[in-house]
Amino acid sequence: MAVEVNIYKKTVLAGLWYEIPIFRLMLGMCPTLAVTAAVRPALTMGLSVIFVLVCSNVAVSLMRNLLKPHLRILMFTLAIATFVTIADLFLKAFQPEMSAVLGPYVPLIIVNCIIICRSEECASKNGLVVSILDGLSMGAGWTIVLCFLASIRELLSAGTIFGMQVMPTAFVPWTAMSMPVGAFVTLGLLLGLGNSLGKKRT
Amino acid sequence: MFLKIKYFFQQSWLLIVASFCFGLLIAVTNAAWSPRIEQNKTLKINNLMTRLLLPKAASFTLTAELEVELAKGKYVKTNIYKAMSDGKCAGWAFNAEGAGFADKIELVVAVDKDFQKITGFDCLASNETPGFGDRIKLPPYRDQFAGAPAGKLKLVKVGNPQDIDSEIVAISGATVSSQAVVNIINNSLIQIKKYMQEKGLIGNGG
Repeated sequence: MAVEVNIYKKTVLAGLWYEIPIFRLMLGMCPTLAVTAAVRPALTMGLSVIFVLVCSNVAVSLMRNLLKPHLRILMFTLAIATFVTIADLFLKAFQPEMSAVLGPYVPLIIVNCIIICRSEECASKNGLVVSILDGLSMGAGWTIVLCFLASIRELLSAGTIFGMQVMPTAFVPWTAMSMPVGAFVTLGLLLGLGNSLGKKRT
Repeated sequence: MFLKIKYFFQQSWLLIVASFCFGLLIAVTNAAWSPRIEQNKTLKINNLMTRLLLPKAASFTLTAELEVELAKGKYVKTNIYKAMSDGKCAGWAFNAEGAGFADKIELVVAVDKDFQKITGFDCLASNETPGFGDRIKLPPYRDQFAGAPAGKLKLVKVGNPQDIDSEIVAISGATVSSQAVVNIINNSLIQIKKYMQEKGLIGNGG
């Protein structure tokens, strides 16, 4: 029992700190750069990824004993594509504005490498509970970084967070922060910060 | 031969079964949500049209559908809506699209009842550079179209945006996006106007 609890704890902590996707694994970088101009789309994107990650982990974990090694990537992609399509339809039906903002980046979750990485690394080797926990914690870790990056960019590019004005009116918006260059600069600085914090810990 | 088929199924049965199950899942979800997705689209177009023609218009009816030629051999489906208020025609609105700076731009354009004057346009979808090209959605650029003649528009780099005429003053630093909107409106407006006159839906006076 104690061993099991340990595995759960390890899985959760891995997603949230030790293997946090963007800082440690350096996976899922494309949406990180593309949809972080404002917090709301970033959060929507993060929640969609959590949904897809958990569902595909469950599907892969359930069929892990039936997988043929040379067909496994095909099966992962099949499961991921299904849940991404569902997430995309959901956003179109219930969050049409967000769907318009995110545009092609929702279907592109299919090729988000965190999801296939977790299918391969965790779900195809572990039971259902560990897979679900892994999906949740990896997704949450990714979403937290995404929202953090997006709030810095939204604050500097528009003076708002979640569309609410927080900077004084005298603040001159830095338009560059909402463009790709802002994403690269902010991400680079955050990665540097993350690495220097990580070094002190070990 | 038989062995080969057996081998094939041994290897791939899971893939076949899973494809079927996942396909079914998508089909069910799509069937459940597609009416809502369609409704969202109509609602969005309706909202834009109301904003462009208010307070004159009370309701919109889809009157005609037309394939507008974008370039040689390339067509886009256009819906033409008739705006009614107090039982009379208050104007027309239609969707239009074309190439922008980074991606295609989709617009809703509204004109008055005789196709004499443009009443305005709005963006359904665009992906122009933030801070530069995306100012096509904002005044003063956008306001130049309200009241402009429904004929051939021309983009100029210097001028007074307050003057409402067929000359549209470009946004400085975003000439390509400014030109794109003018081109899209020119292209679809002229074709639609011709079509409407041929069908007798509007007078030939314009």
